[in-house]
Amino acid sequence: MTRNRAEFAAILALLAVPLGIALVGPLLPSTGAERTQPFDPAAPWPGTDHLGASVLDRLLDGGWGIVATAAAATALAFLAGFPIGLAAASTRRRWLDEILMRPFDLLLALPSLLLMLLLASIAPPTAWMLVLIVAFVNLPDIARIVRAAALEAAHHPVVDAMWLQGEGPWRIALTHTACSILPTVAADAGVRLVGAFYLVAAASFLGVGAGPESSDWAVMVDVNRGGIFLSPWAVVLPAALLVALSVGLNLLFDRLLSRREPA
Amino acid sequence: MLAYAARRAGLGAFQVLAVAVLAFALVELLPGDAAVALAGDQPDPEAIARIRERMRLDEPALQRLGDWLGGLLTGDFGASLTTGRSVADILAGALEPTLILAGLTLALLLPLSVGLGVAAARRRGRWPDRLITTATVGLYSVPEFALAVLLVSAFAIGLQWLPPTAVGVPSLLAEPAVLVLPLLVLLARPICSIARLVRAGMIEALDSEYVAHARRAGVPERRVLLAHALPNALSPATAQIARTADWLLGGVIVVESVFVIPGLGTALVDAVNARDLPVVQGIAVVFGITTVLVNLLADLVAFRLAPRLELAR
Repeated sequence: MTRNRAEFAAILALLAVPLGIALVGPLLPSTGAERTQPFDPAAPWPGTDHLGASVLDRLLDGGWGIVATAAAATALAFLAGFPIGLAAASTRRRWLDEILMRPFDLLLALPSLLLMLLLASIAPPTAWMLVLIVAFVNLPDIARIVRAAALEAAHHPVVDAMWLQGEGPWRIALTHTACSILPTVAADAGVRLVGAFYLVAAASFLGVGAGPESSDWAVMVDVNRGGIFLSPWAVVLPAALLVALSVGLNLLFDRLLSRREPA
Repeated sequence: MLAYAARRAGLGAFQVLAVAVLAFALVELLPGDAAVALAGDQPDPEAIARIRERMRLDEPALQRLGDWLGGLLTGDFGASLTTGRSVADILAGALEPTLILAGLTLALLLPLSVGLGVAAARRRGRWPDRLITTATVGLYSVPEFALAVLLVSAFAIGLQWLPPTAVGVPSLLAEPAVLVLPLLVLLARPICSIARLVRAGMIEALDSEYVAHARRAGVPERRVLLAHALPNALSPATAQIARTADWLLGGVIVVESVFVIPGLGTALVDAVNARDLPVVQGIAVVFGITTVLVNLLADLVAFRLAPRLELAR
């Protein structure tokens, strides 16, 4: 037990650094450093970026966007995917189930990053569009997991009993089925959040989706790559923060999951 | 087996058709006039007219869809909007580096991930297992580009053991040192997921009645592991290879960009940024067909390994 507690503390410490910077960073006053030359070797640690601005300022401001976009996209995907999966599982009409779920089988035939690039190639590049696209890419998986979880609950004897008592199908779906699958869905939300975070970061790095003026950690890695020999910290620090956040979230959600269902 | 294969292949063919139609639909989904939308921020009438003529936007959509599908069958993907080169040419030129990356990754992936999974399962609960499990959980969905630049700064800039990019290399196979870092990055995510599944499958198999019986009958431990437990542990992992194809293609896009490798991924990102829709469509079809085929193959292998599991939906 003590070893588990120590591991848990280590995971939280790993998460605290990137999450703290992402959430609190934008509130901190900027260091007020003047713009100097790009990748200035004489600048105080951690140096300057490709425009000559302080890397430290950029780091403090650059986490919020990625975290907020990933969280918003995950929330939106569940908001849309939960009712679809629930309706597909609860309905007693097979054609409705097919109409709701079949299109997702086709979307799943495309790699998610490819699907995102395709949508980004025709959509206007704004932050909200990226939220929409990432939510849309995550939608098929969520709808399928909700449906799979709800199928069992929706065909439980309790449902037949409620049906015989004259409860309407909507009431059954909302009061019984939705409530009984909430734990499964909540456990899945963690996995989806990490996935959304991955997609948002990859999109920013590839320069699609977000506008050109945005400067999150992934964009920093991209634009400062050219100066990696002169000013490595401008690339290494944002990349390390992204890796720490991703690894930390993965370990945390895995730990929460295995605590819920002991192996 | 045959009936299942035929049904599964039918679904695959339908998915390929859907991918082709979806790629075509990209043009129709463009907001407003497609030619104006594709001409960029400062559209001049000449460019708009040229795009309209090249993509034959004046003709009815159904007729263009028919021609697009017919063209795909004969290998005619249309022409790039920016350079005028045929898309088939661009694809053929970019295919080799991507094939090398994907092929080598797949070839290394199976032995490494199965080895790690089996090694962890045999030492369940002890430190090698804890180490492997923590690493595979943690690295499960690390953004490839972040991992890549960290590896580059450590091994190419700090230690100077390996080249940082593939710039100026005529062929990837001519300079294997160039391939080390890209392959490491590409392997990271799929190894994690497959090793975890193999570990879980192996643990279940090693606890089973038939393994206990084989041991009691005096079958050598090596044989118990490799001939009795492993095949049963592999079938859930085979299904996961379908997901791996997804990650591998996504990873290839990012890895080619980081290491400046002129493959399909780089071509796709360039085309997306330049709004060169015919090239985007062509690459989407190639990637989509590859994914469908890999999924199909994985399902058939999984079915062969454990026929009682019906994997088709």
